[in-house]
Amino acid sequence: MRRGLVVAAAVVGLAGWSSAEAQDPGRRLGGANGPPAAAEAPNKPAPRLADGKIDLSGVWTDGGGTEIPRLLKPGELDTILLPKTKQLMQSRNDGQDPYNYCLPGGPLRITGGFAWRFIQHPTTNATHIFMLQEGNAHTYRQIFMDGRKHPDDPSPTWYGHSIGRWDGDTLVIDTIGLNDKFWLDGSGIQHTEQLHMVERWTRTNFTTLRREVTFEDPGAFTRPFTVTYTAKLSEPGSEIMEYICIENNQYGLAQGMAAPGSPK
Amino acid sequence: MRMKLGVLVAGLGLVGFVAPLAAHHSWTADYDGSKTVTVKGVVTKVEWTNPHTHFYVESKDDKGVVTTWNFEMASTLSLERGGWTRKTLPVGAEVTVGGFGGRAVTTRAIAGSITTADGKSLFVSKPGQ
Repeated sequence: MRRGLVVAAAVVGLAGWSSAEAQDPGRRLGGANGPPAAAEAPNKPAPRLADGKIDLSGVWTDGGGTEIPRLLKPGELDTILLPKTKQLMQSRNDGQDPYNYCLPGGPLRITGGFAWRFIQHPTTNATHIFMLQEGNAHTYRQIFMDGRKHPDDPSPTWYGHSIGRWDGDTLVIDTIGLNDKFWLDGSGIQHTEQLHMVERWTRTNFTTLRREVTFEDPGAFTRPFTVTYTAKLSEPGSEIMEYICIENNQYGLAQGMAAPGSPK
Repeated sequence: MRMKLGVLVAGLGLVGFVAPLAAHHSWTADYDGSKTVTVKGVVTKVEWTNPHTHFYVESKDDKGVVTTWNFEMASTLSLERGGWTRKTLPVGAEVTVGGFGGRAVTTRAIAGSITTADGKSLFVSKPGQ
């Protein structure tokens, strides 16, 4: 997961492998779990709803899947993690990631490698915005847009309590009340229930969403820090699809784990 | 012994194989990219499921010893977007499957190529990095 590209040593053999990959139209049509991105339309502006707000609706891919260390400057991670956070991160391996056992990845990874959909409801003066995740936990995140405040002491959950507001054409989502059961990202960065996330979503053009995420957690980090992701609009006509991860998860069996279903 | 069955450990190889990003988990956690296998046999079961699809191939070696392989691929979504339906690979089909073997369990593998008896190559997709 965190190893970048796999290099398969060359030579010849395995009939049809490389030729099939090169020629197959399906291969060109999509990534592992998402529909293909729409063609870039840098000069086509972001659409608006009847109330003038930016229309975020659509099927998007990515926008939260890249591991955080890859988005930081060299050495920056070390200055951010508290010693105990660093220690825990270094002790973790993929086999312990709850995400691999079909549990939610939290608010950042809900927009990871699977397609997802933004829904503003109602479409004028939306009181709610939903993010529907196709993959993994096949779940949703809700953002309250009706002006309410965070509860004083929310019970920690996988997606926390999110309130949103518009700052010009940028959607700002503020989230607290997160549990510490998920990994913040695939690299295993640890956080605590004190995690506070502020996201700034800007549809910079018709096909592109910029997401700046600021993490603040005095229980895990020395200071707040910000990373930036990009989500791409999927091809017209793309839809999210059903994906029930718990159906037949055999993760770990081939590497010798006794049984799937829980971290060892 | 089992590794001999229908398996041509490739000193031959794979060119330009680049796995897609994302997915439920990386196939490299479960499978060893240096353990190339090729299995010829008959499909006995297809699990059209998530997070990943699996199909089982019964392969007989030259001594008549039968081994059942469990081949993994990516999600149904990924395959459907690549043009598959649940009927693309039927039980009873004769196939030659290339892939990478399990890190610990040698009768499991991730499929990287599927060629049917008539020489047709099927689209394959693996869980990402």
